[in-house]
Amino acid sequence: MRLPRVEDIEKRIPRPEDFSARSRGPATTARVGTALGIAFGICFLTGLWSHFQYDSPSWLPIGPNPAWLYRVTQGTHVATGIASVPLLLVKLWSVYPRFFIRPPKARRDQLVDVLERASIGVLVAAAIFQLTSGLLNVVQWYPWEFSFRRTHEAVAWVAIGALLVHIAVKLPVIREGLGASVADEPPVDAEGPSRRAVLRGLTVASGLALVLTVGQTVPVLRRISVFGVRDGDGPQDLPVNRTARAAGATRAASDPAFVLQLKAGARTVSLTRDELAKLPQRTHRLPIACVEGWSRNAVWTGVAVQDLIALVGAPSRSTVTVRSMQTRGAFRTSELPGDFVDDPRTLLALELNGEPLSLDHGYPCRIIAPNRPGVLQTKWVRELEVRT
Amino acid sequence: MRLVRALLLLTGVGFGLWGVWLMRDFTSEQLVSMGTWLAGGVILHDAVIAPVTVVLGVVAARLLPGRTRSVAAIAFLVWATLTVAFLNVLSGQGGKPDNDTVLHRPYGLSWIVLTLVIAAIAAAVAYRRRPTAVQRRSR
Repeated sequence: MRLPRVEDIEKRIPRPEDFSARSRGPATTARVGTALGIAFGICFLTGLWSHFQYDSPSWLPIGPNPAWLYRVTQGTHVATGIASVPLLLVKLWSVYPRFFIRPPKARRDQLVDVLERASIGVLVAAAIFQLTSGLLNVVQWYPWEFSFRRTHEAVAWVAIGALLVHIAVKLPVIREGLGASVADEPPVDAEGPSRRAVLRGLTVASGLALVLTVGQTVPVLRRISVFGVRDGDGPQDLPVNRTARAAGATRAASDPAFVLQLKAGARTVSLTRDELAKLPQRTHRLPIACVEGWSRNAVWTGVAVQDLIALVGAPSRSTVTVRSMQTRGAFRTSELPGDFVDDPRTLLALELNGEPLSLDHGYPCRIIAPNRPGVLQTKWVRELEVRT
Repeated sequence: MRLVRALLLLTGVGFGLWGVWLMRDFTSEQLVSMGTWLAGGVILHDAVIAPVTVVLGVVAARLLPGRTRSVAAIAFLVWATLTVAFLNVLSGQGGKPDNDTVLHRPYGLSWIVLTLVIAAIAAAVAYRRRPTAVQRRSR
């Protein structure tokens, strides 16, 4: 008996020709890849938009109109990401035999081969990373050491960059594949599924992934979306993202001696909750829209922030810093840009759907403004300070 | 065509470099964790998910009657990709113990129902496609 040599092992590794499924091939891959490319493009643009909404750059001031904008862009972002999971899996399945192509013999071709494989490696790693990290963020599970928000953004640029390089390299194959009929198949493995069957099955899978989760964004589908993270239920008919206990706000928020501080330069006004309730009240129907994709409309009643800062003599277009009583977690303070304060729908809310705010919804008072990511709708507000 | 490809290539490289630039102030701990998840996903797919799928296909081709193979393959496609897409809610991880407005549905039960529905539809389609008596005699 002799030890196996490299050639013996090499013979045992499958070759692309060993994979018999007739449903694979450029006609399938190009179609699935096009759908996946469009889905990733939607995720990329809506994702960038979300970062702009968190931190509005000076060249793109994002205002309160339309009130539903973030609800739509972020709902689309998460829903498209979930629908992409079947697309990515089938895309990878359709090209898996190519993983076993042997490297070319000539030196010059080897370099091109290594570069191409490296770019595909980056693309696959980044694509899987984006879908995985996004899906885990949606259920608030963070089994890693990196910052989700910043890493999901950085890897998105890498993923889209690698995707563009991939399209550049494969453009002739893609055009040929899209031109080829799905019915035009080589006569191997006649009993396996056809290309058309695979594409139809994938459409069903992707559509079901969407319908069975998107009810957290689209209220009509609430009952159907049995795999949705939320069904829109919660205290006072609204889900909660962070409870008072998790935010460490319970004690301060339930203190009957609570007073809200209004500040502008040297001027300070303190108001109890009863005094707030005696000020002119406004009622608006506005959505809470979270970065995790869920959103829900609710009826809010409270004092317009512009009316409050008028009490300390500030003009209605001022930037206001909002400070919360919460002792744990990020976003304890938020900044309300002048465009939002100037909108009479931007409220310091005292009531939700006709009842006083529950503790988990921000009692004694919280911010609610049109077209803002949920985490900036600061709860358990203790201070509003006008920036001068 | 050449110009389009060159532009795509350059834009792509630019985007990728910008992504790396955004990581410039990540700590080494964050970079290692990110690298682990990046590489882990590829390895999990290429070394586990894809080979297992291939083996399942080979086994199914030996066990199942020829005419049912196409239906079985498509049913598996729908079931397996949906299962992966719903792994986050099926994992039982995430959420917060004091927040019952999140992850409060019977996901395991829904998944069993989904599995049974897909199996039932696949069985019904396979049954309808069974060869007729005439076809069987002519063989």
